[in-house]
Amino acid sequence: MAESIVHDTHSSAKGGHAGAPQKSFFGLLKRPGEGCHPVIDWLTTVDHKKIAIMYGAAALFFLVLGGVEALIIRWQLAGPEREMISARFYNQLFTMHGTTMIFLAVMPLGAAFFNYIMPLQIGARDVAFPRLNAFSLWVFLLGGVLLNLSWFFPGGAPPVGWFAYAPLTSSTYSPGIGTDFWVLSLQVLGISSLAAAFNFIATIINMRAPGLSMMRLPVFTWMTLITSFLIILAFPAITIALVQLMFDRNFGTFFFEAGEGGRPILWQHLFWIFGHPEVYILILPAMGIISEVLPVFARKPLFGYPIIVFSGAVIGVLGFAVWSHHMFTTGLGVIALSAFALLTMLIAIPTGVKIFNWIGTLWGGRIRFDTPMLFAIGFISMFMIGGFTGIMHASVPVDTQQHDTYFVVAHFHYVLIGGSIMALLAGIYYWFPKVSGKQLSERWGKISFWLVLAGFNLAFFPMHFLGMTGMPRRTHTYRADMGWTEWNVWSTVGAFILGLGMAIFVGQIIYTAWKGRRCKADPWDSRTLEWATTSPPQAYNFPRTPIVKTRDQVWADKYDSEEIHLEWGPEEEHGIHMPDRSWYPLFAGIGLFIFALGWVLFKEPVPFIPGFANFLHLQVVGFSLLMLSIYLWALEGPGGYHLHPDKSKDPYA
Amino acid sequence: MSDSNAKFRTLTLLVLLAGSVLLTGCLGPWDQKQSALDPRGPLAQDQYNTFMVTLYVTGFLFVTVGGTLLYTVWRFRSRKTDDPNTIPKQSHGHPVIELGLVLASAAMLVVIAVPTIRGIVYMENMPKDLHDDAIVINVTGLQWWWEFEYPEEGIVTANEMYIPAGRAVHLNLRADDVIHSFWVPKLAGKKDLIPGQENEMWMKADEPGYFYGQCAEFCGDSHAYMLFRVIAVPEEEYRAWIEKYQEGPAIDIADPGAWEPDDAHEELIGKGIDAFRRHCVSCHRVGDQGGLTGPNLSHFGSRTTLAAGWLDNNPENLHRWLAEPERVKPGNLMYYGLQGMTGLKDIEISDEEIEAMVAFLLALE
Repeated sequence: MAESIVHDTHSSAKGGHAGAPQKSFFGLLKRPGEGCHPVIDWLTTVDHKKIAIMYGAAALFFLVLGGVEALIIRWQLAGPEREMISARFYNQLFTMHGTTMIFLAVMPLGAAFFNYIMPLQIGARDVAFPRLNAFSLWVFLLGGVLLNLSWFFPGGAPPVGWFAYAPLTSSTYSPGIGTDFWVLSLQVLGISSLAAAFNFIATIINMRAPGLSMMRLPVFTWMTLITSFLIILAFPAITIALVQLMFDRNFGTFFFEAGEGGRPILWQHLFWIFGHPEVYILILPAMGIISEVLPVFARKPLFGYPIIVFSGAVIGVLGFAVWSHHMFTTGLGVIALSAFALLTMLIAIPTGVKIFNWIGTLWGGRIRFDTPMLFAIGFISMFMIGGFTGIMHASVPVDTQQHDTYFVVAHFHYVLIGGSIMALLAGIYYWFPKVSGKQLSERWGKISFWLVLAGFNLAFFPMHFLGMTGMPRRTHTYRADMGWTEWNVWSTVGAFILGLGMAIFVGQIIYTAWKGRRCKADPWDSRTLEWATTSPPQAYNFPRTPIVKTRDQVWADKYDSEEIHLEWGPEEEHGIHMPDRSWYPLFAGIGLFIFALGWVLFKEPVPFIPGFANFLHLQVVGFSLLMLSIYLWALEGPGGYHLHPDKSKDPYA
Repeated sequence: MSDSNAKFRTLTLLVLLAGSVLLTGCLGPWDQKQSALDPRGPLAQDQYNTFMVTLYVTGFLFVTVGGTLLYTVWRFRSRKTDDPNTIPKQSHGHPVIELGLVLASAAMLVVIAVPTIRGIVYMENMPKDLHDDAIVINVTGLQWWWEFEYPEEGIVTANEMYIPAGRAVHLNLRADDVIHSFWVPKLAGKKDLIPGQENEMWMKADEPGYFYGQCAEFCGDSHAYMLFRVIAVPEEEYRAWIEKYQEGPAIDIADPGAWEPDDAHEELIGKGIDAFRRHCVSCHRVGDQGGLTGPNLSHFGSRTTLAAGWLDNNPENLHRWLAEPERVKPGNLMYYGLQGMTGLKDIEISDEEIEAMVAFLLALE
């Protein structure tokens, strides 16, 4: 380590408060400090940047996994009446593909960006609750593991769809424990998302640098804030629904059982009042990224910043008022159908406003076509197509023909691949130099972009035709005489081209992280605060507190008058206080994982160990570990050490 | 030099545009068996018309907004000849432009909203002039087949629905197990069949025709095999069909002794009756004999398809369906048994018995 390190506690630095605990009250586990083994460092880290990198790496792994599942699906559909895989396996694949992509790939990729970029953009040293942040990461990772463990148990993964409509999910119609894995892993993942969302909200509200008023916040940070609010408002609905489903399946309740007085439709309302805001949870971070990338590569500020921010908030609010448009065919009646149709159309307006403003940002600029910009322009055009088909779905009479067909599959893949994934790729290409200090190859970046764009359109555009000519979703095969064969073949070819593009992208990331060449701290001539430090940033992010004078502060520093240049707060005499690492977020996560696994398996006999009737003991073990970890977490005290920035390594020091 | 370049580019753009228009033309025809773009009834027609409105509006927006995007990207691209130190004007937006665009997009939505609301009312309420001679059919969705009951005529059949062309049909939609969705794209958009809920819809075929339908809500293993047909026939034919069904099946299985075979084939049918009574009758009904949990087979021989519309009804397919049902339709309850009841997996059926049952079932015209 280059920095001269002073190992002492916060309390002693201040002259010693007698009562301030230095480490765990019980001395069970010392908080690992500076200079610990790298493996321990990563397992116990509370640094938002390391946590973000782990989020990103895990999300990319799950993205590849979900992608492979999609390719098997497309392989099966490449011809009519094919029997490459069984109907059951196909149903498991689309369930796992959807769940994986939404909860384990796109959401955590967003979380990776929130974690890495947002604290830098607001001039903070870390998030508000660094250990809670680590807890979110481990709970997400173990939740993903829990979901995918289902493949290895008898009966395999859940065959119920990511939307898991009751009563198909009941113990009568889906007796396998795959569905229990699905229920419990979503609960676990929800805890991760909620903890992270509260953390981000607290961070953005409280930890902005002096002078960084809300209306000077970078749009990406704004979208982080709005997305976090959506998460804390949307997830409780699915939490309740999942608890009800768990009780229906295991403890004889009848929330969704029509024969016993329950209502299957209740699940749909609860699911979609979560599920629709979830769509915006997936797309608002993408819109935030685009709103950062476009100004940099057009060399112009965002056009209509207040309106972009405001329309993001309006989308967030309206997102809670349109859930029933997923249920237009369930018999809602004229009034509800009309209301939800009109509200859904309304949401097109703030979305359209964003697109207009992005084009306005480009207008009059000097547009450079580096890879991030290509993905950003790809995002606008593809997302626009997805938006237009969304408007079609808002029209109930049209939707009754399109609902649950490949037209809808085309629509949401245009929104989620053409939208979310394209934007996330733009973000990865844009911020990779910030994170690694290395630059991704422009040549391979462009190859990957054109392959992704071409493959994606070839895979998903024909699905519009398939849907309008009657091919339903979630069918593992189709009759040869239906006239769908040709488009399905094209679609499969496209999917494999898309897969190739993504493989090149992932390979490029791994290669560059390994062997890439170093680049400048600010290679893109960027505009926002995260570029006012080294790339990659030091552990403390900023050696002194930045004092912000304007929106697009880093651009102003380079091209604007002296009086709005960034200022730095005073140097801290005792050095920069850094927190110690902690074992407890990881242990609490493991405890929660074991607890959840116990609820999945508690009716199963334990193999090889006679005398253990079932896995109920796992719940006791898991819950105890969780509680103990939280208790010790609360008691372990601040600890920490001081860093004295080294000018030769950090020119900002 | 730059001028000829620009000309060349414009030409390329025009060729590309013309090409894509041509390509779109080549993509058709759009009259696939289950195509919503080939409406054959007033409700499907209304939905198609509204679809075209949305297509034109969004198509217009796509061309204008997408065109503006393309033009912007093209016009404001950085050029090699640019002075690298030029900073474009740092403009921050224009409230009037933005307000104007908000209002314009709202106006576009009104164009879609009007036929939408009208379409909702039309779809949810059968027009008064169609009421008087409308027929009623109760549709029940089950894993993975359809029961069609004509309550006024006292008829129960499965997977193939006869309706009179030119008359409206009122459908009561019910489900006993999981959620299904009734969808005949050429006649009407879909509506779900939800356990514990009484949904209804209407549809009408203008002309006689053979229409493909399919379950549109994921309902388990064999969801992809849950098809059906709606057969619209002229009024007289419909009446004849009703009468035939009301008369009962061609063979009365209540008293197998009454079957007097004249030739080898009829002898085979006789054996089929016996086998059917042994293996099938606890779930399947022929005439007034048999259980109610499986599809009613009273007039099976007159059906065009079997296994809920998946296979064409012919001796080979029927033989395969009876010999290896779990291969044809994974998870099906005829093989596995309904909730703990005996299924074909539990019993041995010889090949001769299957031959005989095929002969018998196809004789149920």
